[in-house]
Amino acid sequence: MAIKAVKKILTWARIKSPWIIHFNTGACNACDIEIIAALTPRYDLERFGVLLKGTPRHADVLVCSGPVTKEVEPRLKRIYEQMVEPKFVIAVGTCACTGGVFSGCYNIKGGIDTVIPVSAYIPGCPVSPKAIIDGTVKLLVSLEEKK
Amino acid sequence: MSMEENIKEGLVKNFSFLENKIQVQRPRRLLLDVDLERFEEVFEYLTKGLKFGHLIAITGLDEQDKLSFIYHMAQDGGIMINIKTSVPKDNFAIKTISGRFPSAEVYERELVDLLGAKVEGLPEGSRYPLVDDWPKGQFPLRKDWKTK
Amino acid sequence: MSDKNKFKIPIGPQHPALKEPESFSVALKGEKILGVDIRLGYNHRGVEKACEERTYIQDMYLVERVCGICSHSHSTCFVQAVEEIAGLQVPRRALYIRTLVSELERIHSHLLWLGVAGHEIGFDTLLMYTWRDREVVMDILAELTGNRVNYGMNTIGGVRRDINPDQIKKVLKGMDILEERTKYYIEVASKETTVIKRLLGVGILSHEDALRLDAVGPTARASNVNRDVRRDDPYAAYSEVSFNVITDDHNDIYGRTLVRVKELMEAYKIVRQVLKDMPDGPITVKAPRKIPAGEATSRYEAPRGEDMHYVKSNGTEKPERVKIRAPTLANIQAVKHMLKDRFLADMPIVIAAIDPCFSCTDRLISINDLDRTKSEIVTWEGLRDYSIKWYKEKGIDFSKVEI
Repeated sequence: MAIKAVKKILTWARIKSPWIIHFNTGACNACDIEIIAALTPRYDLERFGVLLKGTPRHADVLVCSGPVTKEVEPRLKRIYEQMVEPKFVIAVGTCACTGGVFSGCYNIKGGIDTVIPVSAYIPGCPVSPKAIIDGTVKLLVSLEEKK
Repeated sequence: MSMEENIKEGLVKNFSFLENKIQVQRPRRLLLDVDLERFEEVFEYLTKGLKFGHLIAITGLDEQDKLSFIYHMAQDGGIMINIKTSVPKDNFAIKTISGRFPSAEVYERELVDLLGAKVEGLPEGSRYPLVDDWPKGQFPLRKDWKTK
Repeated sequence: MSDKNKFKIPIGPQHPALKEPESFSVALKGEKILGVDIRLGYNHRGVEKACEERTYIQDMYLVERVCGICSHSHSTCFVQAVEEIAGLQVPRRALYIRTLVSELERIHSHLLWLGVAGHEIGFDTLLMYTWRDREVVMDILAELTGNRVNYGMNTIGGVRRDINPDQIKKVLKGMDILEERTKYYIEVASKETTVIKRLLGVGILSHEDALRLDAVGPTARASNVNRDVRRDDPYAAYSEVSFNVITDDHNDIYGRTLVRVKELMEAYKIVRQVLKDMPDGPITVKAPRKIPAGEATSRYEAPRGEDMHYVKSNGTEKPERVKIRAPTLANIQAVKHMLKDRFLADMPIVIAAIDPCFSCTDRLISINDLDRTKSEIVTWEGLRDYSIKWYKEKGIDFSKVEI
């Protein structure tokens, strides 16, 4: 009974204030600036309690943009492994979802899900901040349903 | 006479072997084809004498049995000259220009990594732009190299 | 000096502040940087090879995605080279629209830089202010092109969308708002003592070094290098508009900030002229699917500096070779030089001051073998926090700035 209550509080806390970390896995920067734009006054993702963190050990959600390049692949795995459970990955942008225009390039592995499991896909080239907010909120709602 | 024609004439006067090797592509664009043996002196004359002192980039080309390199140089007035030189594909090296143009270092590394060119005198340093464990002898920009 | 006294710190490749993966290996003696090794390649995708495997029209969209901040720069630069080979006469109205979008892109990029620079020195208020104002120009771009970034405006032989009087009104209104705000930023950047203390004399790049290292863009212009492709080698409609090339002789980050904010004012001027003089007529000419054999080099003044594309065609619908030289790559040697013998705490802002765009460059920075007993891994955020603290102890505190 006590464990159940603690779990409930944990999920509640996670939903009310998910901490994110952003990692560019080889993107063209367009999605990255849109992620930052989502955190600045016009869109203000922080009103959902979202906080951008600098280290994977503090983060609940890994926000990835871009197709995975060969050089970045081991780093992506390492960052994912450094995060504590439960962890979620959001693939932001068409490239992060499938490889996009870069699929077929020799230094590209493909989408994020070719390397690590992904919980939410947000397509777009680039993703608009509105879509990022929508995607994040949908992920949070799905956590709420799961509890 | 336009500036471009002036430059062309001046070059031919100094280096008679360059006749028919210089082409004015359009205003502010010159294309120059020079043999590797004479490259150094022509390059010296252009960069010092004619003040083409701004190195924009070095392009590497795979032209069947040879590798070609285009040195894109610009003058302050906006005129740009593309100096092209070629080497046979196997075992021929070009000399580095990174002594005089430090910015050439990355461009030359790119030629080494992507095209398999040999550059003499390139300073030690990490490779660019491919990963460290990239298989040896695989050069993506070669025409016979296909993306798998 | 022996290697034993050196202390090596690897930074990156993951760091949130610069948004891109790169890795620096810094050799230190105390607080002083002895040398920096930059490992590029994390963002290398192989765009040049991919261009050879696709058609010209597909390449347009691919090169646009070389970099998401200067997307219009790359696509215009590429399309200019292709048009030169094909001998296409692009309608004047199309050239004007290209110029318009290119200046709007410069406005968004410089405002973005000002915010990032503010963030790196711990002046987050400035970040929030500039990014809020940046939305004005993002709205305009979305209205004109249909997308906030990666506009897809160009096509071989012209542009894809026309502009109507209603939109012109909206653009002009936006320019008025931004001009007012920029005047305020010039005030903040040039008179605010905390900013001056933090930027003046940091990241020195002398005039001679800027020339020797072939620096480009605002980085070079802040070292009094009077070079601007828009004026020297005019493309699009730049030969028909009047503007000043902004230079500065501070040779440091303070100078680079001034150059950028003043360039914003010039950009507003250019936008207004372009809208006033915009000729009527078609916006595109028909382009052949197969481009005749030939080669061309195209130069373009992107917000970060000179961009160059070389295109060689072989008479088919796919190019034989496409070479892209993005501005950040040209500035890498300058950064190494600027960091040498400087303090570790200056590193974030020195690197940010060239407005690096590593996705362009790699299309990039690793960790060498380190002295394991004495190494420390620092994230970019960690380094930024360190630098803010280091300066706070010296009395430079942005939380006390009234804005």
